[in-house]
Amino acid sequence: MTATTTIAPLRASGRTSARRGRKSWSKFGLVALLPFALFLLLFGVYPAIELFRMSASEVQVIQGGFHMEFIGLDNFSRILADPDTLPVLFVTVIFVVGAVALTVILGTLMAVMLDRAQFMKTVAKRILIWPTVVAPVVVSVIWLLLLSPTIGAVNKMLLAVGLPGQGWLGEPVGAMLSILAVDVWHWAPLVFLLVYTSLQSIDTEVLEAARVDGASEWQSIRMVVLPMVKPVIITAAVIRLIMSVKAFDEMFLLTHGGPGNSTNLISLHIRTIFFDRLELGYGSAFGVAIILIFALLGGFYVLAKKAVTGRQASDV
Amino acid sequence: MSKAQSRSSLGVIGTVAEFVLIAAIVTTVVPILWMVVLSFQPLKNIIGADINLSFSLSNYTDLLAPGNPLLAQLGNSLAIVVGTVLLCLVFGSLAGYALSQLVIPRVVLLPLLALTAFIPLIPPMVLVPGLYATMSSFGLIGGTLGLVILNTVFQLPFAALLMKVYFDGLPATLREAALIDGASEVTAFRSVMLPLVKPGLASVGTFTGIMAWNEFLFGLTMTSGGVTAPLTVGIAALVQPFEVAWGQMAAAGTLAAIPIIIITIIANRYIVAGLTAGAVKG
Repeated sequence: MTATTTIAPLRASGRTSARRGRKSWSKFGLVALLPFALFLLLFGVYPAIELFRMSASEVQVIQGGFHMEFIGLDNFSRILADPDTLPVLFVTVIFVVGAVALTVILGTLMAVMLDRAQFMKTVAKRILIWPTVVAPVVVSVIWLLLLSPTIGAVNKMLLAVGLPGQGWLGEPVGAMLSILAVDVWHWAPLVFLLVYTSLQSIDTEVLEAARVDGASEWQSIRMVVLPMVKPVIITAAVIRLIMSVKAFDEMFLLTHGGPGNSTNLISLHIRTIFFDRLELGYGSAFGVAIILIFALLGGFYVLAKKAVTGRQASDV
Repeated sequence: MSKAQSRSSLGVIGTVAEFVLIAAIVTTVVPILWMVVLSFQPLKNIIGADINLSFSLSNYTDLLAPGNPLLAQLGNSLAIVVGTVLLCLVFGSLAGYALSQLVIPRVVLLPLLALTAFIPLIPPMVLVPGLYATMSSFGLIGGTLGLVILNTVFQLPFAALLMKVYFDGLPATLREAALIDGASEVTAFRSVMLPLVKPGLASVGTFTGIMAWNEFLFGLTMTSGGVTAPLTVGIAALVQPFEVAWGQMAAAGTLAAIPIIIITIIANRYIVAGLTAGAVKG
């Protein structure tokens, strides 16, 4: 303790400079942020710069090292010429829209139901989040064991009751429906958790008031509860949007993007370009294009959020 | 209590809700349970046309047999989890503390926050080419250390922001009091402030640990498979296009999933905090 007391005057002088009007910045704060900043710079910013460099280059791997030759925007014009681009974007949009809509609707439904339930409440609250913590790879395993045309439990049950087995993962529409079902199973619980957490903060008096005013149960859910948690539902939808554009693990194992291009999401496509076709420059360009789209969407989100919070403020 | 009562006294929807929840629980549990059940079945029961059940440990003994890379992969996954959690706890709490309690110049703060917000938005696959080039120039391809670093990079923004939220809950006067009493900044952080955010550390620890355990993409792209890969990649390797090792796949999936579910049951509070806060931060 004696050692630390000698430092006290230094601190005191630091505080006098703080009194000059503006707070002086903290040296310890900068040191504390240093590892975090270094990580982001070395393994976030630097790889991003490499990515941009590769996207404008013809990249070859020579003796384990990357050899880049500047070719301008050729890789980007290839994106437009690639016959796979449109199907990949189309499939991604279908998946993203379906996954976001279904997980948000079902997750919200579960949250509202849990809020109304009594007997199942405690058990359900704990069990329903299990899928969100299970590894995506394991989720694929779980669903392969259910949906496989040869050993899957679903087909075995269909056969047992005399119905024909389905190809599920082997047919274009079946494969898309399957990965949507898997995604819903995996992530609707996250929406559920978010919405339920915010439902708990609703004041009971508001619900009482609605009932006294003669609102039916359904009316009070639709006109009182849901509007109150709308900001959270929107947030959940945005999170799910980001997550489903990122989707990779489950589909990589379940369908490998097939059959054909029918479940070939962006991430799967970039992996194929990069690791199977070894077209490093083109794969990078595809990635850069996606990042730019994301930066735009991110900008829109910030603006939209501002608009929403602004409106809430004016409502009050 | 009064809250629960006034809501559940609503008739029809309350009853419907109970059934919806039962259906949801069944849908959640049965697929997981089916994997666990199949992991204890001999192969003939799994590939048979009918549903026959018996009990056998053969899938597990096959997986753990010498020459099978699974034990090494389990070890890799554990090492990645320990490394990632430690780095995220140390660097995340330091950064969260600085962001919450200390005065940081705007020139440093704004770019850092922009990066912190932007990194979670980018699909990791998109960055893989750039990361691959970076990691290979640092000689970090194919090793556990490289995977620890990559997991940390993608978990650290979350860890820092979650810790910031917890530090925000502490009054600023606490640190000032410690400083006036003669503590150094380091002591104030370590002995006064840090012990007060233990729930935050628990949340960050469990959550980043689960994420690192579950991580697949970097394990797949930055290792050459086999004994250098984490468990998730090992499981994926059991799914070959023309020959799927169904029983071993179920057993390995069970080994990967059950510990996490048990942790979720025990540390439910911290995981919920991680899921909701992480989600709010995008």
